[in-house]
Amino acid sequence: MAKIIVVTSGKGGVGKTTSAAAISTGLALRGKKTVVIDFDVGLRNLDLIMGCERRVVYDLVNVIQGEAGLNQALIRDKRVENLFILPASQTRDKDALTQEGVEEILAKLKEEFDYILCDSPAGIERGAQLAMYFADEAVVVTNPEVSSVRDSDRILGLLASKTRRAERSDAPIKEHLLITRYNPDRVTSGDMLTLDDIREILAIDLLGLIPESEAVLRASNQGVPVTHDAASDAGQAYTDTVSRLLGEDVPLRFHQAQKKGILTRMFGGSRR
Amino acid sequence: MNLKADSADVAFTFKGGMLPMTVMELNSADPEQIRQQLEGKLSQSPAFFQHTPVVLSVEKLDTPHLALERICAVCRDHKLLPVAVRGGTDPVKQSAWALGLGWFAPVEEERARRLASIAAENDSAEEQVPQNAPEEVTESTGARLYRGTVRSGQQVSASNGDLVVIGAVNAGAEVLAAGSIHVYGALRGRALAGIHGNLGAGIYCRELNAELLSVAGNYKRLEDIDARRLGTPAEVHFESEQLEIKPLA
Repeated sequence: MAKIIVVTSGKGGVGKTTSAAAISTGLALRGKKTVVIDFDVGLRNLDLIMGCERRVVYDLVNVIQGEAGLNQALIRDKRVENLFILPASQTRDKDALTQEGVEEILAKLKEEFDYILCDSPAGIERGAQLAMYFADEAVVVTNPEVSSVRDSDRILGLLASKTRRAERSDAPIKEHLLITRYNPDRVTSGDMLTLDDIREILAIDLLGLIPESEAVLRASNQGVPVTHDAASDAGQAYTDTVSRLLGEDVPLRFHQAQKKGILTRMFGGSRR
Repeated sequence: MNLKADSADVAFTFKGGMLPMTVMELNSADPEQIRQQLEGKLSQSPAFFQHTPVVLSVEKLDTPHLALERICAVCRDHKLLPVAVRGGTDPVKQSAWALGLGWFAPVEEERARRLASIAAENDSAEEQVPQNAPEEVTESTGARLYRGTVRSGQQVSASNGDLVVIGAVNAGAEVLAAGSIHVYGALRGRALAGIHGNLGAGIYCRELNAELLSVAGNYKRLEDIDARRLGTPAEVHFESEQLEIKPLA
């Protein structure tokens, strides 16, 4: 049975789309047939991060409105087998999404795929609520700063009340915490919230911790999900995250400040 | 929100809501006396009198008839908006309705009497018998237990009695209770106890970082809280005309 996972955060710019792209890539690399859907109608980004923006013909809204078939809109990823992207529309607004339409698409995708990732838009409005409504699991992306943590807290409240599982009183959505842009040095200096602070406030299981990394920026601009950059810290952290999502027990990495060696200090080298 | 609900189809929906409400407890039925006191208060804290809705509680008054219309006029002159009357005799109820005000039964009656009797250490058999019967009812229906984190944007309320939260109340969340509030975790949000005017209500928590603490409308903001109490177990009561925050011993 396919799992529907929403990647959400409340706050914008924390790394939802980057994480959705990286996790879906990781799942596909592990042999899971995966589709990632961009719910950010009007502000589509996922296709850029996945590097398939030149191959978009039809989108989510076209499919919902019956202007295209689902298979016409799905874009096959060039790098990994088993990975497909369903892009958002850039020209429509969020009202073009209907709950019935989304339900129908997800039902069809469930027959074919192992994992369906929904990349939620920021905010708590209709688009975000539709992205989470049918989810089985949720990855809540949070930055180590107060406003991001508060917005994630708000989203967790909505996941527990405004989703189909909540309305039907089914088993609750499985909530995972994914901390991104974590910089152990800035945590030590007190500029950022610590891992423990965040876990204490949000009180959900930690799925992964992604260090602040140049690799993420580079990956976004090149349109290659950072999971492919296996040498980078962020790439490895996402790979760990995917393993945990698949139920494996992987120790946490990148959460402690690295002691700088004399050479690093002299030449100011930074980690890749 | 039900996403299927078409907003064009329904003109309105009824929703239960708990709103903090100021209760104006009248000790005198004399409109002139009320006017004089209001004028004093108005000069002290003009910010409070912004067409603030109030419930006129006449439970303490013995008079069967009230000059309710004049009292309301005095309130409106001072930018208080009477919305309902609590307690009083049948004629009072009738005149409240005639003035377009709501009427509430005197809910605090039993509780107030019980507390008063405890304070007086009066344990004559005559007082105790009627006192035990309603207490059981209060206990079985009043307190509300909430397990889990109360998250930003969520509101949990106990409209008849105490609220017990086994978990944290996060920033941006709000917990309300007619009685006391007990938080077995960190209190980072807003906590309003005694929302129907019970000054004997308290707030108890394992870690105090509340955005707002209020007992029967008397409040303190995070900024007003003694920094030494922050992050520690604390209890909050209304004592000597203000909110007292003490270590939870």
